[in-house]
Amino acid sequence: MRPAAELKNFVRAARALLARERGLAEFEVYCASAEHRVARLAYTSDIPCRGVEELKSHAADGFTLRIVMCRDASEVGTATEAGDLSLEALRAALERARSAALVDPDFPGLPETPRRFAHNPAGAVAGGLMRAGDDALVEAAWRIVGGALDAFSPPPAMRERPPGLVLGGDVSIMRDRMALASSNFDDLRVEGGAHFTCMVTALIESVGAKGTASGLGATLSGMRVAAARAGRGAVTRALALGGGERPPTGVYRVVFGPQPVAELLNYMVVPSLSTSAFHAASTAYHGRFGAQVMDQRLNLWDDPRAARGAIRRRLTCEGLPARRTMLIRNGRLAGLLSNFYDGHRLAADEHRAEKLGPHCADPVDFAPNSGYRLGESAVRRFDAHPGSAATNIVMRARGGKSERELIRAVGEGIYVGRVWYTYPINGQRAGDFTCTVSGDSYLIRNGVLAAPLAPNALRINANLEQVFAHPIGVGNRAAPALVWGAPEAYYVTALAAGQIPFAAIEASQSAME
Amino acid sequence: MTSTDIFGAAELLKKEGPDLLRAFIRSHRGAAYADLRFEARFSRSSSATDGEPRAAQAGESAGFGVSVRVNAPGGASGAGQTGVELGRLALRPARLLGAIRAGLAEAYQRARLGAREKAALIRALNGRARSLAMAAPPPRAALRDEAAAVFQRDPRTLESGELERLCREASARVAGLGSEIVFNAVAALSELRQELFISSEGALISQGFAFSQGDCYVVAQSAGGHQEIYDTIGQQRGLECLAEGWRDELMPNPDLLTFAIELGREARELAAAPALKPPADEVTVVTDTHFNALVSHEIIGHPSEADRALKMEAAYAGRSWFLRSLNDNEVGRQVGSPLLSACSDPGLDGYGHYRYDHEGTRARRVMHVENGVFRGFLNSRETAAVLGAEPNGSARASEVFYVPLIRMSNTFLLPGQSDPRQIVAEVEHGYYVCGGAVPSIAESRENFRISARRVYEIDHGRIGRLYRAGSVIADSKEFFMQVDAVGDDLRLIAIPNCGKGQPMQVKRMSNGGPTLRSRARLGGG
Repeated sequence: MRPAAELKNFVRAARALLARERGLAEFEVYCASAEHRVARLAYTSDIPCRGVEELKSHAADGFTLRIVMCRDASEVGTATEAGDLSLEALRAALERARSAALVDPDFPGLPETPRRFAHNPAGAVAGGLMRAGDDALVEAAWRIVGGALDAFSPPPAMRERPPGLVLGGDVSIMRDRMALASSNFDDLRVEGGAHFTCMVTALIESVGAKGTASGLGATLSGMRVAAARAGRGAVTRALALGGGERPPTGVYRVVFGPQPVAELLNYMVVPSLSTSAFHAASTAYHGRFGAQVMDQRLNLWDDPRAARGAIRRRLTCEGLPARRTMLIRNGRLAGLLSNFYDGHRLAADEHRAEKLGPHCADPVDFAPNSGYRLGESAVRRFDAHPGSAATNIVMRARGGKSERELIRAVGEGIYVGRVWYTYPINGQRAGDFTCTVSGDSYLIRNGVLAAPLAPNALRINANLEQVFAHPIGVGNRAAPALVWGAPEAYYVTALAAGQIPFAAIEASQSAME
Repeated sequence: MTSTDIFGAAELLKKEGPDLLRAFIRSHRGAAYADLRFEARFSRSSSATDGEPRAAQAGESAGFGVSVRVNAPGGASGAGQTGVELGRLALRPARLLGAIRAGLAEAYQRARLGAREKAALIRALNGRARSLAMAAPPPRAALRDEAAAVFQRDPRTLESGELERLCREASARVAGLGSEIVFNAVAALSELRQELFISSEGALISQGFAFSQGDCYVVAQSAGGHQEIYDTIGQQRGLECLAEGWRDELMPNPDLLTFAIELGREARELAAAPALKPPADEVTVVTDTHFNALVSHEIIGHPSEADRALKMEAAYAGRSWFLRSLNDNEVGRQVGSPLLSACSDPGLDGYGHYRYDHEGTRARRVMHVENGVFRGFLNSRETAAVLGAEPNGSARASEVFYVPLIRMSNTFLLPGQSDPRQIVAEVEHGYYVCGGAVPSIAESRENFRISARRVYEIDHGRIGRLYRAGSVIADSKEFFMQVDAVGDDLRLIAIPNCGKGQPMQVKRMSNGGPTLRSRARLGGG
């Protein structure tokens, strides 16, 4: 990765060059350098394997230039350049941006406030994770495999046949740096950050069991601790889940653990909580801004500055302060994730009254707290267009209960510890979702976890309202949770709901048998 | 320096790359294999929403990925990879070759680190981890070949505003269909890629690809409901396939304007249609070619990927209902009706066409299901060795800087003998399910719920009332076993966004199938 000083020097020089250019009303140079290193786990007890796949990395750096023309304040041109942080490359990009300029009548100009930002020049994260070498990642991955194999002692019933132990997942380090210069800022905006994720899935196919473990954070020591625990933890959970039952199709009372809650938020709720979703009329909360959309005990926010958050940012990729955005307050829809362009576009939308609904005060200000330019690995990407993304999503509740109390309150039902492939089956706006229950789950009888639930035995077909509108209870402890491919980290509570429809999956179809 | 120069970097590497890899292997102890993939790309894209232009870009990029395998003392092997995006720096020979050498050195160190840690664990476990002794794929003869991209209109020489006008006009026409259209987005791209694969085994393969793609997303609402739909058209061709449409028996598409307007009309119609209230029991369903593209993708294609089948994707995209273990699997067993066959064929002219995969293996047609019997997996060199099969050229990365994964190409259900109109006409009561929308799949793809764009009731052989928000819910094998009619109307569609791996790789391919008739439960909205 390129040093912050190099990025800063480039955008400073770029600003000086662009300031001398004729015909530009505004300009912005966003420069990013990012890296994703991954060690993937691939252990199978009965199939030849590598244990840990090749340690791999993807490094990308470059810049995006945006210019606004003097002849029309709505005429904006964009060009990107990979790798080459030189003024020659900037001149070439400028030529392309001029040639690609188009008139977007909704373009509000480039972000312009505040003109000066008191930021931490070292970035949001200055820990060892930014400098961690390959050895730390490789050691962490093999420690997970070693821990898992140490913990795996097959019970006697399993010793007569191949155990079918499968260990998958990865340890990843994501790190990025950015620098931004704009004609609308007096200063240069510079930041760096790093975080790790660790996802482990242990399957014991001979007994049809699946257990998982995960970790995330922003420190090297945290990654080592997560690695030391994850392999052992996933296998231990799987061992406790063998011989699970397959309940019939029906409507059940349910405790959703933190991972399913995170998955529902990631696929169903958060995509509905942006200014672009409201503008496109494709949100599950269409016409309900300011209205009660969840149980009044629930609060949901995004906090890029959370002290214990894995993804810590002080600057958005638009060079603006990254701030906490309250999304749901006491069950009411209180705020939206937004970047500069989308916030303005919704505010100026002639149909905003219908899209936001009667509970929304007008005018409403959607602060551009969440304008990030992210790539597939959720790191800042030099050529991405600003979108709205969350960082650390936190869900907490007033009057929360322990998981044991939630299970007791459910009485008879299902504890769902992990779900799979959650999708808005009829589009985002309908709020309908479907997913399968894939592991870490139990049957609840007489208010206690009574028996393991076989993985992949049930499909959920429900609507957001059935989960979040009238929960039986909400947890009192926000636990970290990861969702594969999601750009944000989740810190969420368990939640108990009634009347959730499940459909049984035929046992003979399952590869787990 | 012109904008086309980025492709010249590939020419430099054709000359310098083989020697560079040979020198690397000679000078690094234990290095058993190395390969270099390089890609240069020119891309032009544009988008419009609600009739107004929003973005337009044209640019070049270049990058590379190197992979190294080492045999460490004590018998443990290790592998490492490095991927870098270089951009126009690739035009500077010293910079490009220096970056590749640095990448190889980094990948080599990673491979050694991995081998060291593996050896330590094997020692510590004292024979309890025998499966870690995965053998390297056998060496093979060197291949040298070149394949050119196919296009009439070179993406590099298009007039800069042409894509912008196409998108804007299409979006404006959709917006103008009526007040029911509350939002629409139209995007288009035209792209040229030059890929190079060089290995220490002597392979030197150059392939060119042209991609042109149009996407449309529409939100419509009426007093009674709302509908969001999207679709894609795409070909491995130049802009001609979007500007004028593409007439082809297997994968035709209308021009972008017509495509967007048709989608807009469909959204309007659906927003006014009632949501399906599904019957409680299993019903007869006739699924159309577009819907069956998703079925072939999710229920046949993905579980036919050997890395999933061998549990290597267990933590992410899941396993395969075709393989429980090496000794207990569906190979040679009936997994569907004898009327049902499916394959992957990268040689066909679809969105997933290629001649060589990213391990330098010549691609070939793979039969997955033949008359209802499961036949085989898509594989890589490594997984082929585990399965005792020949490599079939299915390891591909979405971008040059990522490692190859096993991916579909043009994967589809084969056509049968029946007239699709007759398939519907024979149904006393059932549902005609058209257009794939959103798939949700169980972990081993043994069960699915796939939503459709349109569901029509069939009454006495006639297509009746239209419903929105319908979906098909079924256990995979049961659904396939109950297929009792297969149409002669095979079509492929472009799939622009198949995600797999960590980090997520989003890949283009084709899927398709003919009209099918089976039985399933329906889901509603």
